[in-house]
Amino acid sequence: MDDLLAARSTMAFSLGFHIIFAAIGMVMPFMMAMAHFLYLKKNRQEDLELTKLWMKGVAILFAVGAVSGTVLSFELGLLWPGFMKHAGPIIGMPFSWEGTAFFLEAIAIGLFLYGWNRMNKWVHWFAGFVVGLSGFASGIFVVAANSWMNTPAGFDWVNGQAVNIDPVAAMFNKAWLHQTMHMQVAAIQAVGFAVAGLHALLLLKGSHSALHARALKIAMVFATVASLIQPMVGHFAAQKVAEYQPVKLAAMEAHFKTEARAPIILGGIPDVETGEVHGAIKIPGVLSFLAFNDFNATVKGLHDFPREEWPPVLIVHIAFQIMVGLGSLMIVLGLVYIFLARRGGLPKWFLKVLVVSTPLGFIAIEAGWVVTEVGRQPWIVYGIMKTKDAVTPMPGVQFHFYLFVALYLFLSFVTAWLFRRQVQVAENNMHKGAVK
Amino acid sequence: MIEILLFFIAASVLLYVVLGGADYGAGILELVPIPYLQNKQRHVVNEAMGPVWEANHMWLILVVVILFVGFPGIFNIVMIHLHIPVVALLVGIVARGTAFTFRHYDAIHEPKSQNVYSLIFSLSSLWTTFWLGVLAGSLFQGRIDPTAKDFVNAYVAPWTGFVPFTMGIFTICICTFLASVYLVGETQDSELKKYFWRRGFAYNIAVIITGGLVFLAAYLEDSAFLKEFLNHPLSIACVVAATLLFFLLWQLLKRNQPLLVRLTAAAQVSLIILGWYFAMAPAALSTPQGPVSFYDAAAPAAALRQLTYALCVGSVLIFPSLFYLLKVFKLSSKSLQSDSAKNDGK
Repeated sequence: MDDLLAARSTMAFSLGFHIIFAAIGMVMPFMMAMAHFLYLKKNRQEDLELTKLWMKGVAILFAVGAVSGTVLSFELGLLWPGFMKHAGPIIGMPFSWEGTAFFLEAIAIGLFLYGWNRMNKWVHWFAGFVVGLSGFASGIFVVAANSWMNTPAGFDWVNGQAVNIDPVAAMFNKAWLHQTMHMQVAAIQAVGFAVAGLHALLLLKGSHSALHARALKIAMVFATVASLIQPMVGHFAAQKVAEYQPVKLAAMEAHFKTEARAPIILGGIPDVETGEVHGAIKIPGVLSFLAFNDFNATVKGLHDFPREEWPPVLIVHIAFQIMVGLGSLMIVLGLVYIFLARRGGLPKWFLKVLVVSTPLGFIAIEAGWVVTEVGRQPWIVYGIMKTKDAVTPMPGVQFHFYLFVALYLFLSFVTAWLFRRQVQVAENNMHKGAVK
Repeated sequence: MIEILLFFIAASVLLYVVLGGADYGAGILELVPIPYLQNKQRHVVNEAMGPVWEANHMWLILVVVILFVGFPGIFNIVMIHLHIPVVALLVGIVARGTAFTFRHYDAIHEPKSQNVYSLIFSLSSLWTTFWLGVLAGSLFQGRIDPTAKDFVNAYVAPWTGFVPFTMGIFTICICTFLASVYLVGETQDSELKKYFWRRGFAYNIAVIITGGLVFLAAYLEDSAFLKEFLNHPLSIACVVAATLLFFLLWQLLKRNQPLLVRLTAAAQVSLIILGWYFAMAPAALSTPQGPVSFYDAAAPAAALRQLTYALCVGSVLIFPSLFYLLKVFKLSSKSLQSDSAKNDGK
């Protein structure tokens, strides 16, 4: 493994790991605050139990998210000093706001977790809500910093130096809006389905059904609403990618030849050498419509770009197909849920489907990030700086990679084990109605 | 503009050492417990650190963000040439934070798993604190050579040597001292109080001795920092004042004044750090070619301006919330005396 590949793999692995916990940290506190609100308003005991159950999940996952986020903030410099030297001052603004938001989140979570019976109950509720709010804001800031790498703005690049820096223009670059919307909605979807899946499992096991039914309902409202909004946001994002990063769009779609009335290519394995996609379904005109709102528009193909600027087509295409496929599946699940809930109850088979769907949203998020990040290669700052020019000069980066893979695998294992124990105890205790 | 940012860096480092330091020290203290007090001690640490550990930990992130946005030259030198100790530090931070949370939130509390979490928590507290000290020592040791090309000189020499090593030990003593006097006020149990009291006394003496060792190491290695330090009357005054506060601290402890004890201990440690600042400023680190100052390594003005705005607006949001957090859990007489067991949040 050479140092560049090791640095890229470490970054991919660290981000892929952190993003799961970050998404949970952004969304789960809102669900918790919702349950808590219901308890304060209606004084139903199940709502309090549910709040405390979710609170433990938030506490455990927040800790993992916080430390893996700390690692990332250092890794930017440890692995990519060539990038940070120039990019730090330009995209510092979202990072400094993210720092502020995260700080508030850390304070709020301390107040919420330990503040039971110590503060006014509504102030306490508000602390829990602020955990979600500041987490959500953090997510927006970090994704805005990433969007700058896709559509760099706010500086002039003169002889390998950034001059005329404008941090405000850099933060509000062309990609910030669609990237943040797409990510935040995806987080709600993913966490919604994950939480729903977990409670569907507990319902199937027959423990304390009133509590889990309520939990499932809150989670599914989040999941369904987000799933129905996401296609519109995704369409908006695709149009922006078509406009600002046409080579990424071409790789996503495995679209090799420039043509009018371009077809959308569903599935299939692209062959980069021959420029053909094997085993795909093609629907003429749809790609043109998706990218430019016009069935006859011309979409630029990969062959119109220099070969050395192509991202890895196979990876990007497959990741994009996974994301869109799972997104569509989640829409169907949302619609079925609405239909069944209106008829007055969820049958067992649907609960089983939900259990199986637990990881769907997270897989879609990971796939989406592969599209965004791998699709930008070979650039670290699109059109300005190549990834290979940003990597650390220190040799032996593979040891850094092995170390963090081992550490994170161990952490995932322990987290999963802790959740198993939480569920065990929930099963044993809940139907007795006894929460410590 | 740069002065405001330097103030924020100084304040963050200071708060990280004082608040975060007590947090790390609590973990180190658990490493050699008195067996029959062990469970009580763990409980006190969980309750004392639980509400604040996330916030304590944020000061470090703040320093990192200010450095990479405002002083990319310094950030880059540190991240490239001190890669290895920074990674060591990160591994410790990950292990520590998660072990602490897992210990508290594991649904099933049984001795076996609790002991494993606690062991990881204590060992990683010691480990992380040591590397924090090594990093601080490396900054003023003067061996970070940005022009070095071979592996040993570029990536190993900067953080090896007597100065970083003694600084690592010194940091461990500072944190353990802070934790001991802090925890005295967190428990009503008289045995445990006495235990923390004694540990605090021992570690305060250890701070003075190991601090002397850092100077000795700097003298033996002929470091430029030592000359700067001795030429700076303020630096000397700070260290002398810190040492004298020792007597005040023990009077206050005897009279059982938890809040004043905390403030005095914090003042002691702050004075040590201020002494270091006065000797270093405006340099951030020293190299064989001479010191690298914050002014040389600063980002363009527009970036500094936006960063300063963010920090000022952020402070308006953060400081009142932080104060509220400390008020609820740490400052009110109720929380200092209350039986912490009753609000377990479980």
